[in-house]
Amino acid sequence: MCSTPAVADRPISTHVIEFPYTRTLGPVVGPFLTGLRDGTIRGIRSRDGRVLVPPTEWDPNTGEPLDPSDLVEVGPAGVVESWAWVTEPTGKHPLQAPFAFALVTLDGADTAMVHAVDAGSIDEMSTGMRVIARWKEERIGHITDFVFVPEAGK
Amino acid sequence: MSDNDAMTDAPEDVRMMDYFMHLEYHELVCPIVLTYAAALMEGKLLGQISPSSGLVYVPPRSYDPVACEWLGDDHLVELKDRGVVTNFTIVTPVQYYGQEKTEPFAKASIMLDDPGGMLSLQDILEIPPDEVRVGMRVEAVWFPEGERNIDEIGNRSWGSAAGCIAGWRPTGEPDLPADTFVGKVY
Repeated sequence: MCSTPAVADRPISTHVIEFPYTRTLGPVVGPFLTGLRDGTIRGIRSRDGRVLVPPTEWDPNTGEPLDPSDLVEVGPAGVVESWAWVTEPTGKHPLQAPFAFALVTLDGADTAMVHAVDAGSIDEMSTGMRVIARWKEERIGHITDFVFVPEAGK
Repeated sequence: MSDNDAMTDAPEDVRMMDYFMHLEYHELVCPIVLTYAAALMEGKLLGQISPSSGLVYVPPRSYDPVACEWLGDDHLVELKDRGVVTNFTIVTPVQYYGQEKTEPFAKASIMLDDPGGMLSLQDILEIPPDEVRVGMRVEAVWFPEGERNIDEIGNRSWGSAAGCIAGWRPTGEPDLPADTFVGKVY
């Protein structure tokens, strides 16, 4: 369609729209991300005694505020409850090679959290498998400070 | 415990998070935009003149939205790189994320000399922004050949010559009275 030599090699234009928000984290998510920066994963004990991971400021059953002093350390290993394999990661995915998004219930937790599992191959994935956090060396206090890997292959 | 307690207990705690919502999209560039871009690289401004309305569209868009008619290569016309400032705004930069400018600058709409055409959001060069005025005669300052690019040109960057035209400088000619371009601006 393009007969113009000067631009024949670039018939596709790329546009980026970016909204740079900076968000305050509050008394529960702040310590959760501070923990990730420091290499620990924390959940919060709800009113009925369950440990919620990631921690929330509010009890999901009653809406009552939860107490940040009820933050407890969980993991760093857990069980895959469910998973989906990503064959073609985009630049915005946490891993650039094929990986799994999984629901992982960490040891000591009563809820599952979504995160990436760097399993290398879909054949390594199974429901019920054990995974463990692999930490980045340079952590900033963000959910991407770690990914899960199969516990056996840690 | 409140936010304030957390702050005094451990000032190094993570309390904020950058959250960059980022949308990237790719699209096939219209043939007419490629023609326009190639001409820009050669130092020429191309538009399309509508036989029905007489309006000149730059960059060309292959249709006349006023007359609701298709335009084609037959309607391409080379435009002048001189014109008159019909409108402008002075931007005082706030240092938000991505803002590289620190001093106030002017962005102007320029109506090109016959056969016409409107370019918007153009930089005015060589004079301080508070000397920019409606009716001021200007001419394009092209980047030298070999230093031009069309990186920012896409289907929706109407009025864009960025990458090829650095901006517009006053010609020193007398200002045009507003009634010479009222009614021609669209």
